[in-house]
Amino acid sequence: MAFSGNFMCTSFKKELLYGVHDFDLANGDTFKIALYTNSASFDASTTAYTTSNEVSGTGYSAGGGALTNVDPTSSGTTALTDFQDETFSTATITARGALIYNTTPNTTSISVTNPSVVVLDFGADKTSTAGDFTIVFPTADASNAIIRIA
Amino acid sequence: MIPQLEISNDFGIEVHTTQNRGFTPEEIAERCADKIISVSDEAHPAIQAQAHAFRKRIVQLVGFYLREAVKSDRTTVYNALTDAGHPELAELIRRM
Repeated sequence: MAFSGNFMCTSFKKELLYGVHDFDLANGDTFKIALYTNSASFDASTTAYTTSNEVSGTGYSAGGGALTNVDPTSSGTTALTDFQDETFSTATITARGALIYNTTPNTTSISVTNPSVVVLDFGADKTSTAGDFTIVFPTADASNAIIRIA
Repeated sequence: MIPQLEISNDFGIEVHTTQNRGFTPEEIAERCADKIISVSDEAHPAIQAQAHAFRKRIVQLVGFYLREAVKSDRTTVYNALTDAGHPELAELIRRM
């Protein structure tokens, strides 16, 4: 029962084909990032947000923080999108990893609730004490962006 | 050959934390610069040097304006606290 790497959720890939997720900044879905202890067990088979093993502490509320989308774009033959860095302010928390999920999916063709997008493994416990806890997303280019389709 | 779509699992996430303080303008400026410019290890040395110089200037410039924003926000907080009848607390904020 532990984090074992970063995973793009398989259900997310399927849901892309159903048109469930919209990453547009102005009119897209609301994606959130929830933080978890190392007791959480996430991998590519994770399908949805759960409160099980979610962190708790000052400056953090269940469900996590809402992310700011970055309009999808393309570079060469690779399509990509990104999120702005997310900060939990004045927080006293310890987290080992995170789950990004969609709180407002398009359920026209498929029934999903808080479907997962990606599992993030921080590699070790990360702690803030009455401070800022910031998740820094990678450079939004064809080689590094968090979500890219080649 | 059938064209294939590939969604990569290969991405790097960083977590930055602080203890008993917030991030300084300089620390945030460094993060900002990383979003604006990256320098390839395989680039020509002259290009690398130019890129590093540009990045350094970005850090200085962004850091300066972040400090300006912090100062201006403290002015706003000072006045809000004063208006709310907490002049001593407002003075503490002003002196930070």
